[in-house]
Amino acid sequence: MTVSKLSIRNARRQAGDYLVYFVTIVLVASLTYAFNGLVFSQELLALSRQMAMVPPMIVFASIVVVGIISWLVAYTTRFMLLRRSREFGTYILIGLENEQVARMFFLENLAVGGCALCLGILLGNLLYQALRAIVLALFGMSYHFSFFFSGKAVALTLTYFVLIYLSAQLKSRRKIRKMRIYDLIYLERQNEREVVKSGRGRRVLFAGSLVLGTLGTLLLLTGDLAACLTGACLVIFFLYGFFISFASGVPAFFEKRPARKYRGQRLLVFRTLTAKLGTMGVLMASLALLFLGTLAAEGMGMVFQGMFQSRTNKNNCFDLVLAAEDPKVESYRDSKAYIAEKIPLKEDREYEIYLMDTDKIMAYTEVHTMYYRYYGRDAVMKESDYRALRAMLGYEDVACKPGQYLIHCLPYMADALQGFSEELVFGDASLTPGGVHTEVFAQHLYDYGNGGDFILIVPDALLEGYPVSHTMYVAMTREPVSEAQYKGICTIRDQIFEEREDPLEDSLLYASDMDEAQAASQTAMSVFPLFYLALVLTMTAATILTIQQLGEAGRYRMQFALLWKLGMDKKEMRRALRMQFAIYYALPAIPPVLVGAPLIRNMASQVEPGTMVGASDPLAITAMALGLFFLIYGIYIVLAYSSLKRSVLPE
Amino acid sequence: MLQVQNIEKYYGSGNHVTKALDRVSFEVEDGEFVAIMGASGSGKTTLLNCISTIDTVSAGRILLEGENIAELPARELARFRRERLGFVFQDFNLLDTLTIEENIGLALSLTHSDPGKVKAKVEAVAKKLGIEGILMKFPYQVSGGQKQRAACARAMVAGQSLILADEPTGALDSRASKNLLEIMTHMNQAFGATILMVTHDAYSACYARRILFLKDGRLFNELLLGEQSRSAFYHEILDVLALSGGDISDGI
Repeated sequence: MTVSKLSIRNARRQAGDYLVYFVTIVLVASLTYAFNGLVFSQELLALSRQMAMVPPMIVFASIVVVGIISWLVAYTTRFMLLRRSREFGTYILIGLENEQVARMFFLENLAVGGCALCLGILLGNLLYQALRAIVLALFGMSYHFSFFFSGKAVALTLTYFVLIYLSAQLKSRRKIRKMRIYDLIYLERQNEREVVKSGRGRRVLFAGSLVLGTLGTLLLLTGDLAACLTGACLVIFFLYGFFISFASGVPAFFEKRPARKYRGQRLLVFRTLTAKLGTMGVLMASLALLFLGTLAAEGMGMVFQGMFQSRTNKNNCFDLVLAAEDPKVESYRDSKAYIAEKIPLKEDREYEIYLMDTDKIMAYTEVHTMYYRYYGRDAVMKESDYRALRAMLGYEDVACKPGQYLIHCLPYMADALQGFSEELVFGDASLTPGGVHTEVFAQHLYDYGNGGDFILIVPDALLEGYPVSHTMYVAMTREPVSEAQYKGICTIRDQIFEEREDPLEDSLLYASDMDEAQAASQTAMSVFPLFYLALVLTMTAATILTIQQLGEAGRYRMQFALLWKLGMDKKEMRRALRMQFAIYYALPAIPPVLVGAPLIRNMASQVEPGTMVGASDPLAITAMALGLFFLIYGIYIVLAYSSLKRSVLPE
Repeated sequence: MLQVQNIEKYYGSGNHVTKALDRVSFEVEDGEFVAIMGASGSGKTTLLNCISTIDTVSAGRILLEGENIAELPARELARFRRERLGFVFQDFNLLDTLTIEENIGLALSLTHSDPGKVKAKVEAVAKKLGIEGILMKFPYQVSGGQKQRAACARAMVAGQSLILADEPTGALDSRASKNLLEIMTHMNQAFGATILMVTHDAYSACYARRILFLKDGRLFNELLLGEQSRSAFYHEILDVLALSGGDISDGI
């Protein structure tokens, strides 16, 4: 039998023995191909100018993915080498040269990687269609199937895989070439070296790591960059310190409490776990770090998605908005002229936003909500403008009752403002609250909207003599504003700003269609790479844990066979295996969840008030990020458990 | 205590049936130390596996304290094994992730003994078998003889009524074998443990008070120690082996 035939046979066996690893590589290949498909899709990139930023972001994420998967492949190759070292030693013993064995292992891994890549590309085509459907949905377009195959995407995926495999395989090839028979036969007996040897040292490390972890998490929640970086470093110290010292603390705990140790299946579960964890503390910490990365990426992705979507929804009512403190400025005047000339309108209106002489409502909302101030005093508009704008938007007509004022605000403030009962004085008149309205009303355009998150509406006559904050021009168009029309206005404005010494914009231009396209592009640009990373991180960590667990199948089988002979009930065996599984998989996930959950909640709370509401509420985002993480992780756990249960429990 | 009545065991199916046990019958009284001798393939391990409920018989009955073990459902069998039987295997079968103390205590935790009393019980039995000094060590840190004594401690710590030993000296040197056999004799005489030991080694067998000889799945002879010395018993065993064809003389 030739070396290459033996390689192929071993590759087939490897794909079976390390099925979880093989499936993960197939999935990673399909994800990489699908995202590379986005990079080269002319159809999707043509949806908006902003989509041009998507390819660099995906390539950047792919580079990180290549790094992570290289680690996974290198780790698994090393693991396989360890497990099969005796087999390799035997090959050399019967006369094969080191070089031949090294080549055989190399070819075997290349065959597995090549198969995974081919299957991944096939699956990736389906996944690409899913990504395409999401992108089209983001742009409000309907999905229809169209076959996609990109040679460039295949070439880029192939390049990534060559990088991943060559780095790992060349290393193992070098290692086998240098090894002696003795090394190969006894390699399996080597464990990860204990980093801290003395019991006291480990106890100190354990306690210290917990303190650092708590401190690090608190620093991460401050939002300050320097504090966050320090916090991140402390959390890394915590994870490594915790996992290096944890396994040794458990036997000491039970040694002092023998009655607890011998209760139920605890003895078996704790010893099996500590035997495993005692030699893989550094690895566990690295996996916990990957999980924390997953949670951070998922959380950030969801925050971005919610933020872009919600910000768009807050303003998405008028097709076009122009605003300026002084309506005579060139940028405002010329933009308006362009609109009048080039864009067919259904309706338009120009009006003023005034400022009151007090900030009573702002002061009130600052106390009762998470309000940010946009103006020095409360913004107010004329009743006639308000009613005309409501009519333009198709909202129900409302009017100020005599002696009353109205408030129009973002939904998050409504409850608080319902409770505002103070009278407001306009010249000689005193007005009482007459109701709160919350329809979408372009109130989130920072300095230039219909108020900053809220506005007062009073009878026109009362605003005589009040200072104007800014002038607004709003319009409803006959057709959606095209990218060319929007670009036309932007070109005029850019020319004006370029010619100035001080290029600051003195007016605002907003087009709801463009804003939606921008939100869609921003979502594709930030959320896609983050989820891509999160998926790969979870799959990598879960695969390594599963490989480790399934690698012990032989030992577990012997253990359960003995326990069966000693009279252990099968139900109890299943319970012991389940408990052992639950703890083994929960352990690297608990610290990241404890750090990650408050971190995600905090990230979502940093966004301006009224944005992260409904499904984007900080708590909802935290729950969804954790849910998604546990869903993917859970699939791996269930697969590993059912496979191990079948192979280790006696018939 | 133990009644084996006309048991038969077949392996395979169709034209390839192997008869491993052929109408084997014998009884073991409470407190006896019985050895079963036979060549490789004579059926002695099959017989032990059937008695220990690890395997099932094709025909016949095995009664332990009057109870037919073949009729017990799977759960009852598990309970039966953990409460009534103790095992000592040739390759020790200690779990390498557990300390010696925990390996012995495991048998008690399986029987749901009071967890608070496990440590004390383990220490008491370890003292009787002279292994109290190695309780905190892991199996890979102790000698083969010590491992086998730990296995004996595990086999008797939960008060099991019958100890089944399958070639217990098979992996030990002669000194450790002698030591273990003396301990088993002590377990039998001082604590009243009933022992059924399978061996192909005449020297090990001469520690028993009665020996059953198995050949091609059938019992063909029986020896009793009676009042004679162990040395005389040993020679009597060798004579039987010589008569039987001498193919189980590896241990001589």
